[in-house]
Amino acid sequence: MFSYMGYAGKMLRVDLTTKKIWIQPLRKDLARNYIGGTGMASRILWEEVKADIDPLGPENRLIVVTGPVTGTIWHTAGRAALVAKSPLTGIWGESHFGGFFGPELKFSGYDAIIIQGRSERPVYLCIYDGKPEIKKADHLWGKNTYETADMIREELDDREVKIAAIGQAGENLVKFANVMTGFHNFAGRTGMGAVMGSKKLKAIAVRGFGSVKVADMDKLLDLAYDARERILKCDQAMELRNYGTPMLVGAKQAIGELPTKNHYTGIFGEYEEIDGPTIRRRYWAGTKACFSCFLACKKNNVVRAGEFEGTFTAGPEYEGVYAFGSNLMISNMPAILRMNYLSNAYGMDVISLGVVMGFLAELFENKIIDEKETGGFKLEWGDYRTAVEAVEMVAFRRGIGDLMAEGVREMAKRIGRGSEKYAMHVKGLEISGQDGRTHRSAGLTHATAARGADHMRSLVTVDQLGYRDVAAKRFGEDKVERVCNGYSEDFKALAVKMHEDAYAIRDSLIVCWYSVGWPPVFWMDDFAKILVAVTGEEEFGDVRELFKIGERINNVKRAFNVRHGITRKDDVLPDRFTKEPMPDGPGRGQVVNLDRMLDEYYELRGWDRNGIPGKDKLLELDLADVEEEISRIR
Amino acid sequence: MMEKVLVVNVEKCTGCRVCELACSAFHYKEFSPSRSRVSVISWEERGIDVPALCNQCEDAPCIKACPTGALYRVEGEILVRLDYERCIGCRACMYACPFGGIGWDPVERKVIKCDLCGGDPQCAKYCPTGAIEYVMANRAAVLKRRRASESLARYMKEVTGGR
Repeated sequence: MFSYMGYAGKMLRVDLTTKKIWIQPLRKDLARNYIGGTGMASRILWEEVKADIDPLGPENRLIVVTGPVTGTIWHTAGRAALVAKSPLTGIWGESHFGGFFGPELKFSGYDAIIIQGRSERPVYLCIYDGKPEIKKADHLWGKNTYETADMIREELDDREVKIAAIGQAGENLVKFANVMTGFHNFAGRTGMGAVMGSKKLKAIAVRGFGSVKVADMDKLLDLAYDARERILKCDQAMELRNYGTPMLVGAKQAIGELPTKNHYTGIFGEYEEIDGPTIRRRYWAGTKACFSCFLACKKNNVVRAGEFEGTFTAGPEYEGVYAFGSNLMISNMPAILRMNYLSNAYGMDVISLGVVMGFLAELFENKIIDEKETGGFKLEWGDYRTAVEAVEMVAFRRGIGDLMAEGVREMAKRIGRGSEKYAMHVKGLEISGQDGRTHRSAGLTHATAARGADHMRSLVTVDQLGYRDVAAKRFGEDKVERVCNGYSEDFKALAVKMHEDAYAIRDSLIVCWYSVGWPPVFWMDDFAKILVAVTGEEEFGDVRELFKIGERINNVKRAFNVRHGITRKDDVLPDRFTKEPMPDGPGRGQVVNLDRMLDEYYELRGWDRNGIPGKDKLLELDLADVEEEISRIR
Repeated sequence: MMEKVLVVNVEKCTGCRVCELACSAFHYKEFSPSRSRVSVISWEERGIDVPALCNQCEDAPCIKACPTGALYRVEGEILVRLDYERCIGCRACMYACPFGGIGWDPVERKVIKCDLCGGDPQCAKYCPTGAIEYVMANRAAVLKRRRASESLARYMKEVTGGR
């Protein structure tokens, strides 16, 4: 029995080169110092993946990880995360998915799977009733995500098998290939699908019949019921249940931050064609929840008539609507649904793909490239038919799709001629649907987050979307006005750091961004209570201790990046955000003053002016071994 | 307490499986969907989720099928009770039930069925959408009609544009 409740107490280690599988006991220090989820994975990646390891080589690790709360009844306890060195960015890579895979892994008796090596032939990992086995997948290679899942369930003769699979994009090493689980859930960012593809690992199939046991069941049931009540009473949570995340389209347009035309502006004239109410009215075909979630934000949508008739897709989320819609100036919603469906089926991150297309459209607009270079392919703003075609070209690396599959940073590098100016990325990760010009803390988030231009790991929402009361609780009445001014750099470093550390705990439990990040219902005091009820470790009940663990996790992630050469020079934003004033809308004239926020952020973090974690900070966080390596770089 | 029944509103089920967790937590003090007496059957790709549970049938096939009299009903009660002293684990009830209302506990190796949690069914208590409700038996039919009519009214409004 493991020291703490909630955990399975075991990790599965799989070497695809030697086809060896062995079980490792979960280390108590990992649970105590990093809780679980991406916290735990950050430590494992730090220990095992050094700077010279190729992200697509056999030595890279793919860590599939759950947390102590995964598989319980607490709100949104259905999540799991995939962690590896990212082939898209070359640094820290992580991506989470909901659905049912994480709990099934816990019911199988494992907290995590660590996959290393590379198989010669395609394989899939099958864990049935706790027994792991590497199975042939030649017949699955070339199938899309949905076909793959179907065939595996058929073959195992069990519809309840939970599957994480890649599509053709992952096989073809598209750098932003994702990993699908279920119909609705994707670990989208940083190319975890390409890592699986490089290992010739088509899928992981899990079916477990065990259980998750917790320290104080009655207490946890009370906390879960309380969470349920708070969600059902939260207007925005209920709106989210009704519309899903596309409800943000209208909200973002209203504040002039619906990224449009490759992040040129935040105003999209035709936004009403792609906003939450329109999608709900015209295309909605069902509301779905992930495991143990009171929210149910997942939407099925169908095109009932017209050009893309019959397209039935899970989602898109807000990010997909922005990336394929306003970002490309496309208002044809059926086309967006089609692109979303194809991205899901082939297995690609919709954000990176949309930004790649936006980059190309802007290069054509500015005559930096022409059809001669692209084999006759030309993408213009609003050309939805070509955009739909492009999805397939990227997945199969056909024509210009081969270059697009590398992501915007690499595209700009190879095209040259000043194209970098239009490449919307940070550290190689394409920018998500926020804009620092109208939301300063988002600018700092994009610049500093461990995986690049991220919207999940430190994005502050309480400073922007009308949560003055929540912001006042977190920052104090004296600071709240300035915190909530999205056009000011004041206190944004403080806000980003605080949220980054808190979200690190969220991602270690693991629970969902939704109802923690936004709407901001649950916070550290809730995590403290859940963790004690689940694990029985009283020290997790101290919010200060949790903040310290969160800080430790973020420093380990940063150290991993510093090991790969990341410093202040990489904590940047494209010039569009720092030099081109927002052209229209409520935020007209705004730019990001990044340097000021960076200085403050490093200082609050205890990092030097170059963005490298300081000795005192690392020792304070009990990271002496990390300090030893970083001291040689510093 | 026993005049109430569980009513399933399929169209409201989001497939979150909280009911399964609440059920296993109540009966076994652990979270284990495979030991739950209610199961959500999902067709993810088609967006359909159906909670399958014991309907406490008036003329219950499971009672008839049971060779040892382990399944029985107390006169005047809704609940179909299961007496483990008499149960031999032959699964005849499982085969006879048309709804898949009888489950199998893989740990204790015996059949399991809904016991309404002694009057406070946890599945209905935790269900966040009202897909499982615990209502007075004599009102259940009316309630179902109301729910169906609501869907119809929404549909009518959609096709008539609210006129």
